[in-house]
Amino acid sequence: MSMLDSLAAGLALVGNLEAFLALAGGIAIGVIGGAIPGMSATMAVALTLPFTFAMQPITGILLLLGVYKGGIFGGSIPAILIKTPGTPASSATVLDGYPMAERGEAGRALGMSLWASCTADLVSNLALILVAGWLASFALSFGPPEFFTLILFSLTIIAGVSGDSLLRGALSAMLGLLLATVGLDLVYGTNRFTFGDPSLMGGLNFIAVLIGLFAIPEVLAMVWHPTGHLGKARKLGHNRVTLADYRRSFVSILRGSFIGVFLGSIPGIGAAPSAFLAYSEARRKSPNRANFGKGEIEGVAAAEAGNNGVAGATLIPLLALGVPGDVITAIIIGAFMVHGLQPGPMMFIMNVDIIYGLFLGLLISSVFLLIIGSVAIRGFRYVADVPRRLLVPVVLILCIYGVYAVNNNVFDVGVMFAMGWVGFLMMRCHVPAAPFLIAFILGPLLEDNFRQAMLMSGSDPSILVRGPITWFFWALTVITVVAILRSGLKSRRDAAPSGTPDPSPRS
Amino acid sequence: MNNRQTQTRLGLGAVIFSLLLAGLAIPRWVSSPSNVPNIVLSPLFWPYVLAGLTGLTGLGLLASRAFQDDDPTPINPPIDDPRRGALRLAGMALLMVVAMGLMSWLGMVWTCMGLLLATALLVRTRHPRAAMICAVAAPLLLYAFFAHVAGVAIPQGQLVRLP
Amino acid sequence: MKLQRIGALGALSMIAFANVAQAEYPERPVNMVIPYGAGGATDISARLIAEPLGTAVGKPLVMANITGAGGATGSVSVQNASPDGYTMLFARVGSHTVSPAMKATLPYTLDDFRFVTVYEINPVACAVNARSDIETMDDLIAKAKSEGVSYSSSGVGTLLHIAAAMVLNEFGIEDPTTSATHIPQKGGGGAATAVLNGTADMVCTNSSTLASFVKNGQLRPLLVTTEEPIPGFDAPTAVELGKPALTQLVGWTGIAGPDDLPDEVVEKWGGWMETATSDAEFRDALTANGSIIELMSPAEAQEFIQTQYETFRGLVDKLGMRVEG
Repeated sequence: MSMLDSLAAGLALVGNLEAFLALAGGIAIGVIGGAIPGMSATMAVALTLPFTFAMQPITGILLLLGVYKGGIFGGSIPAILIKTPGTPASSATVLDGYPMAERGEAGRALGMSLWASCTADLVSNLALILVAGWLASFALSFGPPEFFTLILFSLTIIAGVSGDSLLRGALSAMLGLLLATVGLDLVYGTNRFTFGDPSLMGGLNFIAVLIGLFAIPEVLAMVWHPTGHLGKARKLGHNRVTLADYRRSFVSILRGSFIGVFLGSIPGIGAAPSAFLAYSEARRKSPNRANFGKGEIEGVAAAEAGNNGVAGATLIPLLALGVPGDVITAIIIGAFMVHGLQPGPMMFIMNVDIIYGLFLGLLISSVFLLIIGSVAIRGFRYVADVPRRLLVPVVLILCIYGVYAVNNNVFDVGVMFAMGWVGFLMMRCHVPAAPFLIAFILGPLLEDNFRQAMLMSGSDPSILVRGPITWFFWALTVITVVAILRSGLKSRRDAAPSGTPDPSPRS
Repeated sequence: MNNRQTQTRLGLGAVIFSLLLAGLAIPRWVSSPSNVPNIVLSPLFWPYVLAGLTGLTGLGLLASRAFQDDDPTPINPPIDDPRRGALRLAGMALLMVVAMGLMSWLGMVWTCMGLLLATALLVRTRHPRAAMICAVAAPLLLYAFFAHVAGVAIPQGQLVRLP
Repeated sequence: MKLQRIGALGALSMIAFANVAQAEYPERPVNMVIPYGAGGATDISARLIAEPLGTAVGKPLVMANITGAGGATGSVSVQNASPDGYTMLFARVGSHTVSPAMKATLPYTLDDFRFVTVYEINPVACAVNARSDIETMDDLIAKAKSEGVSYSSSGVGTLLHIAAAMVLNEFGIEDPTTSATHIPQKGGGGAATAVLNGTADMVCTNSSTLASFVKNGQLRPLLVTTEEPIPGFDAPTAVELGKPALTQLVGWTGIAGPDDLPDEVVEKWGGWMETATSDAEFRDALTANGSIIELMSPAEAQEFIQTQYETFRGLVDKLGMRVEG
């Protein structure tokens, strides 16, 4: 069958009202689900899954993909408005999105987030269609040693999100790494810092730590100083994102999209690290880098491009190899299986009509996301108009429900509260929270892959430089670290004569 | 607390923390099987590495004080009522502990109603009536959504069960 | 005034409570805990049976994924729940026979649960990378004896972990804990991928997990542990290879409650499960997944699980695989 025939067959599959409705409905469900902290895109997809069992395979899968994409964008709405990432992938959006909202530019930040998301989504889908086969063969050459070097390189992101002081960023990262060791040891199954408590054996829930670190300190800061926000311009922006904003951030968006595509096509990385990497790269390259972290629209654009760029690309290993790239695609694989479809190389031969149907559906989904997203923004941005001292207690309740719902466990609510106090102390000492989070995500991956590599080689360290991919990442890591050290020393030399540290943006 | 003092305290804190980890916490609460073939495979290896790096970061923070002026400006703008602010924070901590304790007995919905109202009063909202309405409506709405739309088993109390 | 009101409320609730006790079970929704994550084998199986089972029970079943520590977190939440039949657990081979056999620090034992049924059996298959030169079990054993092999699993104390050790041991490897390398991954999907990308030589897991890889020619099956061959798996059975002991090595899914679950609740579940598992749609969906539907009565389930636990416990003690710390 030629490509045109396949396209026609695919078109026949998706060219009906049902498929369009499923896609649109899925995106709407995803945006709403993503916008509720603790629901997260993962949970929205998991909850939609049972409804797809009765549908046509392609309709059901498009519905799930719609939820996925909508969810990843939807997470940025609360990240910008109330500093609570709706989904882990939108953690990086908080860094500049929330300061913008505080300045009264919520509308602009949300608009940019939508435009960046849709652009990245389109790039990601195109990448999936054009290079699925090629990138998939690449993905399987990633074993533990390659992962280890990739993650080691990714840890250099910490420098990009540390703000004024690299050392404080490092301290924050160390705390994150240490906290991530709680739980059962991967290789031997022994207890680490579990204190005999069964709830700790599973490790600390990521969402609980995330929300505790970002949202609860806002509540505590409000309790400490209830009138601190008065007088700050927080009259909502009825302002919109402009074409000029988009043009200015376009390079960052494209770069973020490609980072997303690359990391998305490798199983096991996920959208959150990709967003952080896109953000830190944008910060490194941007002429406005001094403004990053203080409400720079380019930062929002880069972060959102980074996480949405992953969405289409995670389907590359899924369709081409049958390997799920993250939790969400693992759930989507379930939907394939229930319909008797087995993702993998054979699917490109046996069910090529479905593959092309999916491709076409995905292309349309970017447009749907733009339309449904802008409706959602119009609805949600009035949240910024609610009096702060009313909003904050309600957010606290929302977080409790959300964190509970992730794992049906009251213990996680306690973890969130405790992390809230840690986050508050860090905020008071001007220790940035983002490195903590990145380290918390990447730390276990780094350790696990290191030990798996050591198991593979019988503790021979030379496996860590076993092939070109590892050499590439080692080189990249060394170059980045040298660049960071040099710029750090340079800024210190510049700063030393004048002396005064930067006045902090906010308390 | 100005910038330099903060740096000192953070540095000292990190050094002490790393010593506590290496000397006390890791030997006591991280267990490792006796027959580990190689030190790098041991469950203890990574925690010790982290403890060491934390200590180094702390030393770095202490050392970098030398580059910083003793600028007296406090890093956080002062508030009008620090004493009452601290009391409020303590109150919030108490509220959190009480809420956690009540959750299984009273159920999540009723606990959250109380917590929301108490927090709103604690931050001295200018709209007590609106806060009251929110305190009743928000937990109920969230319950309706999570329990009936999302199918989450929100903890019910021993006293009054919601449908 | 306030105290009075609280008192009144208490009295009211006592009355409500008394009513609950008298009313016919179940008179409100039943919480069903799934101790593994969404999209996994247990989750899919549980959600498939939830449809017909909910109809049989007559009250909604509220599905709750409580994940962590290889199923331990969710199991503990049911162990500690009140034994009124309103909190039940989807128990699985990993959380209820392998982990109790291997982990000394597990916060529960088999005696903390009362099983009402086992309804699904998952055959286990062992596979290697299709590009490797290992064609049969004999090749694998020869390699294990000369240069050593590695096997992947989804973590310590999972079915995959003990399955590989048990298979190697049955085929004459005296001490698989030292002569074979265990390379744990996070999650069952990761274990198959590890064989695919060359991290490990072999994986033994549910045939349903491997089916698509086998069909696509990416993995080569060496052995299935059932007595009958599995469709789609071009590999000898354990019986054909003369290792009938390996037929003990199967995955299963069942339903359990806390250990002092009343008899009438257990009886009711037995009846419901009969109705639920005869549902044609459910049977089609589950068998399409590669599972075998085998409904056990409460007593049969209890015995089946106990036997498997003892087999595993014996093996763990023999090989020194017990996790003490």
